[in-house]
Amino acid sequence: MIKQKKKGLYLSDRPPLTPLKTILLAISYILLFAYVFVILWPLAQIVLSSFNGSQSQYIRIGGTYQFSFKHFKFLFEEKPFLKWVINTIVIAVATALLTLLFVSFTGYAYSRYRFKGRKASLMAIMLIQTIPTFVGIAAFYTLHSIISAAIPGFSRQMFLVLIYAGGGIASNTFILKGYIDSISTELDDAARIDGCGNFQVYRLIIMPIVRPMLAIIALWSFIGPFLDYMLPSIILGDPEQYTLATGLYTLINDSRNMHQPAFAAGGLLTALPIVILFIALQKQLVSGLASGAVKG
Amino acid sequence: MKIQLNNIGKKYEGRENFTIRNIDLEIDDKDFCVILGPSGCGKSTLLRMIAGLTSITEGDLFFGGKRMNSVEPKDRDIAMVFQSYALYPHMTVYENMAFSLKMRKERKSVIHERVLEAAELLQITEYLYSKPSEISGGQRQRVALGRAIVRKADVFLMDEPLSNLDAKLREHMRVELVRLHQSLETTSIYVTHDQTEAMTMATKIVLLDQGKIQQVGSPTLFYEKPANLFVAGFIGSPTMNIFRGKIKHGHFLSSEEDFVIEPKAKDRELLKPFEGKKVAMGIRSERFIAGKADKNAINVKVDVIEMLGKEQLLYCQFPNGKECVISEPGYFEYAVNEEHNFHLDIEGLHFFDEETTERIN
Ligand SMILES: Nc1ncnc2c1ncn2[C@@H]1O[C@H](COP(=O)(O)OP(=O)(O)OP(=O)(O)O)[C@@H](O)[C@H]1O
Ligand SMILES: [Mg+2]
Repeated sequence: MIKQKKKGLYLSDRPPLTPLKTILLAISYILLFAYVFVILWPLAQIVLSSFNGSQSQYIRIGGTYQFSFKHFKFLFEEKPFLKWVINTIVIAVATALLTLLFVSFTGYAYSRYRFKGRKASLMAIMLIQTIPTFVGIAAFYTLHSIISAAIPGFSRQMFLVLIYAGGGIASNTFILKGYIDSISTELDDAARIDGCGNFQVYRLIIMPIVRPMLAIIALWSFIGPFLDYMLPSIILGDPEQYTLATGLYTLINDSRNMHQPAFAAGGLLTALPIVILFIALQKQLVSGLASGAVKG
Repeated sequence: MKIQLNNIGKKYEGRENFTIRNIDLEIDDKDFCVILGPSGCGKSTLLRMIAGLTSITEGDLFFGGKRMNSVEPKDRDIAMVFQSYALYPHMTVYENMAFSLKMRKERKSVIHERVLEAAELLQITEYLYSKPSEISGGQRQRVALGRAIVRKADVFLMDEPLSNLDAKLREHMRVELVRLHQSLETTSIYVTHDQTEAMTMATKIVLLDQGKIQQVGSPTLFYEKPANLFVAGFIGSPTMNIFRGKIKHGHFLSSEEDFVIEPKAKDRELLKPFEGKKVAMGIRSERFIAGKADKNAINVKVDVIEMLGKEQLLYCQFPNGKECVISEPGYFEYAVNEEHNFHLDIEGLHFFDEETTERIN
């Protein structure tokens, strides 16, 4: 009796499936599973290989499996892996902080103030963005020699931070400006009447509202140095100064030093700081704070 | 605090003309001054100049005799309620209300006391720890008011604070606001485009149009002696009836020559210079008296009846199609398409010069 009733009632919000639609649905599921497989399979191989003690230079699929921390040990003992981690984190944190600081000012200024050359400079920033960083290498060298002549303690790592932050500031200024544009200027006015100066308006009112956006910008600027292997390998001379990506790259870029499982192990460890930061910022990333500011 | 505007004007960057200009105005201490005008006439601009949020292009602004043109908004001792409420979304209601006091480094206990006091007055105690996004529009509006009153500022500025509320709540808040103003003993400046709000709340109305002040005065003055045709048409509901015509032998003759009005002696004196000239005559709907008379009489056909209970509005037509609105007590019996006789109360006539649109009598 009850079963019959259940069968007779169609409770889904969507119209019932026709046979053709059932087939299409099945196909899309198959495609999705294939896609997941394509992504997860190599990842699984990386995880497996990094713990496989029976592999040496190359990652081979199949063969014997012997669980060990051999490759991790190799990284820490034979290679300056810890140094790379520290280098990368220092550079990443410095980049993120510098980017946040500057983008806060530029984004706010471009959104709230009308000044001469506002449009032109915005356009210029956008156009410069289209030139790949790599092309700038020659300019970077010249710049570095100029700056280090003026400031003796200016290291190559600091220079790397400047390059990363410079790129980040340009592109993120747009994003933050757009976000601040969507906040009613009456909030600024209200804050001004309540006793805020220009800087306080940003710090006490605008910044808390754009926090999700700032968290994303921080995250992206932080991740950047983890992913880029090319610039550090050109700008930093000493392998001791290398960042993770560049350091790990030395493990696979020529056959004499080839050590693929260790590369996989390093890759795994690289993900850790990013994941930690992501978890730490999760609360900030939740947006929707701005709703309810002005009439609903 | 007495507020004085001397020949104030504002020209926005990139605009060709002044948005408002030659504004001379004096707002006395404890006045409830309503700045009234149609949308886009520059009311908000004027208010923002008083608040210091927009720069003053020309002229001088004085607060209690002190020139304020270049004083920062935070140093002007003002509180403001914005059209969109502008509550800080990341703060609770309590923090929103406490913010201005915190910025002024008040003691914690003083802040707490003032916030609770204001919350009680506005009946928002229950929501003190909610975020603005979690409360209704009407409650947000109260919070915005609360945020302004905790300051106990000398000048209280409001920019259409009631425009987002429903009719019932608006009516209620009108009274509340006036009460609030009286209990705070501040000088209030209130911007609106709603003439009802102006008439019911103001001690002084400033009517703006096209960047100029059209008239300043008490609500009664606005109703009984509108300074020009624009004011006459803007103030009062239903809108004043305006008839075009000319003066002939000291009498007002409508332009279709379908009726003649004999003004009272005082008006006739004032109308003398307009003999033969074009003049507009205004009369409010309640100044029509039902019944036949041998002078100043009209005969019209009732077109539409709006029954309001205590009175009814008769939208009538003259034989030549000209329209007028007449209000009569609700218990009189009228029906659509009936013809009726009315005569005009000559005490309630307004005469305007057609050329300058200025008031004559
Ligand atoms: N920042 C600005 N830059 C240029 N022009 C402006 C600016 N703000 C307002 N204006 C212009 O000034 C005029 C008056 O604007 P204002 O906001 O004072 O009108 P208002 O009387 O408050 O209207 P409403 O009742 O619709 O709020 C408008 O024509 C508007 O286009
Ligand atoms: Mg306005």
